[in-house]
Amino acid sequence: MKINVMTDILEANDRIAAVNRQLFDSHKNLVLNLMSSPGAGKTMLLEKTAQALRGKLRLGVIVGDVETARDKERLEKYDLPVVQLNTGSACHLDANMIASALPHVDLTNIDVLVIENVGNLVCPAEFRVGEDFKIMILSVTEGDEKPLKYPLMFRESSLLLINKIDLLKYTNFNLDEAKANARKVNPNIEIVDISCVTGEGISDWAAWLSGCYKRKFGTNSLA
Amino acid sequence: MALARNIIDIAVAAAEKEKADRIIGVNVVVGELRGIIPAQLIFCFGLMSENTLAAGAHLNLETRPLLGRCRTCQEDFAVKDYMYVCPRCEGQDIEIVSGTELRVRDIEVE
Ligand SMILES: Nc1nc2c(ncn2[C@@H]2O[C@H](COP(=O)(O)OP(=O)(O)O)[C@@H](O)[C@H]2O)c(=O)[nH]1
Ligand SMILES: [Mg+2]
Ligand SMILES: [Zn+2]
Repeated sequence: MKINVMTDILEANDRIAAVNRQLFDSHKNLVLNLMSSPGAGKTMLLEKTAQALRGKLRLGVIVGDVETARDKERLEKYDLPVVQLNTGSACHLDANMIASALPHVDLTNIDVLVIENVGNLVCPAEFRVGEDFKIMILSVTEGDEKPLKYPLMFRESSLLLINKIDLLKYTNFNLDEAKANARKVNPNIEIVDISCVTGEGISDWAAWLSGCYKRKFGTNSLA
Repeated sequence: MALARNIIDIAVAAAEKEKADRIIGVNVVVGELRGIIPAQLIFCFGLMSENTLAAGAHLNLETRPLLGRCRTCQEDFAVKDYMYVCPRCEGQDIEIVSGTELRVRDIEVE
């Protein structure tokens, strides 16, 4: 006997994501889901972001990367609320994991909440967690053809940060080619070149963040 | 793979609702853009379905090509090589009409 089902495989996840999103909205949080390969520089970007936003927007972080338990300690040096998720062997974060972390996050004292996803270019792109935007980092040590190999992640991301541009001269990474490939997959993607080591481009990234916050809430930042 | 887990949960819930004894087949519609590797998903499904109503069931993946529609001239076309450009008017405002699907269409039970 055949049974018609017609159920979206991600429906259960998306329902929980919508609940998370409502909670974020009611606390005036701009929420970003940050994705990349392992080691592309997610945690270091957040360290730089904490410094760049100081006195402007209050940053909070949920760390879901399983590889490095030290991420939380690295970030807490900057006096941020940081919650580390115990994701075990999961290859991505889903809405339920974020929902379970939320009781430990003081959303009232956060303007921008960044969720550092598991280092992986495939699975995280499938799962909404309640974010306003998915954003991703591609580092120049990875290869400029990555957008064509992992189209969904580039398609889903609103912003692409190309990191480690201080290393460009030591690699055969072609910046123009990488951007052309990313735009091929997603013509609307915004791209900012950065280096977390030299600080180049970090102010552009901070400006992008402030712009998003302002568009969402119609106000600049905390008083 | 969480997707395999979700597929099994959806299939088992549907089978239980109909009081079926066993799931023989699961038909899943997968859009090209999802970038699913069939062998991998089928492998995970096989492992994770053990000791469930779906044990031994055949997972059939029906892939859907990536199709776009031009918002400027309404032309429908197959998006090849991730080129989101209208072949008729070269417009770049393209809506995806197929290729992002990810759903359990039906199951075969006894
Ligand atoms: N040269 C260089 N190294 C970087 C840059 N950003 C991060 N790294 C290094 O890359 C490694 C991985 O960074 P991390 O932030 O832990 O990556 P994550 O796994 O994505 O969180 C660390 O050794 C960083 O010091 C950069 O812009 N330039
Ligand atoms: Mg990290
Ligand atoms: Zn057209």
